[in-house]
Order: sequence, then C-alpha cells, then structure tokens
Amino acid sequence: MTDTMDGLDFAPPHDLPIPYLRRISTYYQTLGYGAPYRWAQYADVPFTPLAKPLAKSRISLITTAAPYQPDKGDQGPGAPYNAAAKFYRVYTGSTDGEPDLRISHIGIDRKHTTAEDINTWFPLKQLKRLAGEGRIGEVAPRFIGAPTNRSQKTTIEQDCVDILARVREDGSDAAVIVAN
Amino acid sequence: MSLVARHLEANGIPTVIMGCAKDIVEHVGVPRLLFSDFPLGNAAGKPKDVASQALTIELALKVLETAPGPRTTVQSPLRWSDNPDWKLDFSNVERLSAEEIARRKAEFDANKGVARTRRVEAGVAE
Repeated sequence: MTDTMDGLDFAPPHDLPIPYLRRISTYYQTLGYGAPYRWAQYADVPFTPLAKPLAKSRISLITTAAPYQPDKGDQGPGAPYNAAAKFYRVYTGSTDGEPDLRISHIGIDRKHTTAEDINTWFPLKQLKRLAGEGRIGEVAPRFIGAPTNRSQKTTIEQDCVDILARVREDGSDAAVIVAN
Repeated sequence: MSLVARHLEANGIPTVIMGCAKDIVEHVGVPRLLFSDFPLGNAAGKPKDVASQALTIELALKVLETAPGPRTTVQSPLRWSDNPDWKLDFSNVERLSAEEIARRKAEFDANKGVARTRRVEAGVAE
C-alpha cells in the first residue's frame, strides 16, 4: 500500500510503529481516569556483552504469559481481557514438554489478533529447535513467568530480584524476554 | 519487561527483548530490542506461520550477539499486512463513539475489581 506525493510512492502517514504512549494516555484520560500513567524512564541503560558464543550459552526464556487455569474463565483464542487469570508472583515451569501458557490477562490487540498460537508469544519450540541444531547451547531447565503489575515499584523491588535469582539458579548465560 | 531486562543486564546477564510496543520499550530504555511491527500479542512471530516465528527468534538472537551497545533496536522486516490500517485501531479514542467509551469504562472498572480480589487472594494487596 503506497501513498503518492509529487509522483513519489511513500508509505501512508500512519504506517509507523503505533504511538502507544500517547494512545494509552489519551485513552485512559478520555475514559475519565485522572493523572496519566507515567512509565519508567531512565537516562542510563546498562549493557552486558555475551561472555561466550551463543552456541555454548544456556538461555533463559522469560514470559508475561500465565499458566492456563481452567477455573478462571475464558483464556482461549479470542478471549476478552480476563483479569481473573492474572498472577502476582514470579513463577517458573519446566521447559520439558509443551507448557500451556495463555495471554488473556494482557492488553493484547484483540481486534486484530486472537492469541490462537502460543508460538507467537512463547517461542519455546523455536528455542528447542535452535538448541538441537547447535545455534544455542541449551534452553534453561525452567522458563520464568513475570507478573504484569501496574505497580512499577513492585516490579523493580520484588519481581526483578526474584527473576534474577532464578536465572542465576539455572546457571543461564543470557535471557530472551518476550513482552506482550 | 523492560525493567526486568535492565535489572538482569545490570547484574551481568545479557538480554534481548522481543516486543511489539517499540515506543514504550525505548522510553524505559533497554539494552536490546527486536521489534516486530505486529499487533500486541505477536512478539515472537505471526500465528500459524512457522517461518515467521523462526525468522523472528533468529533476529532476536542476532541482536543479542551483535548489538554494539545499549538502546539497540532492530526492526523485523516482516509485515503484519500489506494494509497498515490495523495500526489506527488500538486504544484510539478518535475511532470510538461515546457509547463505546462508556462501555469500555464499565468493563475496565469491572476488571479492576476482579484484579483487586486476585491481589488479595495472592497476598499482595496494597
């Protein structure tokens, strides 16, 4: 799809990454919720290079997805936002087999996607394939579930600390973190 | 998740985030981001499209390996659709009627109540 100007074919003006910060702030203000949410913001960003090649590295997979809970309402493809399925503590699960994780508790784009395929938010199958092929050393024995708290203070003071502890317990060299 | 990446990295664990909300992740400031310009919920690739999932994780690993420094963002070349109009919808009040805004407010309040109950059950109520 193109947009023509002066005989030049450009992308349409709205074909850019969605401006979520502005959209979400305006959205909640319009719905009547006072002071806009302030996202964490830092001038400095830490950086640690890989200590060894990926082919020799153990990789932790960190997800915001929740284990399926049959008693907590609709968590299937196309489910509406389901706050009952939320969780509030860091959890882990075995990366053996195929864990059943869902994202009905997360603000995904429910108009344009349906959460029908776990591989779009939890790339364990791909990571195992890459471990089998030697692209990465191995997948850590556990994946790690990160709560999506609105309280950034809780995330920083509790969840981040818990997640680091689990990554270290698993002896991982690096982490793939999937945001949703 | 940006906060998690920062904390791990500050403690010696290299990370890469796979995400669809580029501006939010970059606002916080993270070491490495593989950005897919897809609807939220598809940070690891397109549904029922194994080739896109394989390409997405491979790009993420390349970012992990080769980022020259912090705030490295790489955008996946994959397109959700040739038509970008889906980007106009998410949380866009300009496209919602007054009735729809009222309905969403009621739904949001109901979910907040449920979340509060869950926090109490989980022992993390504020």
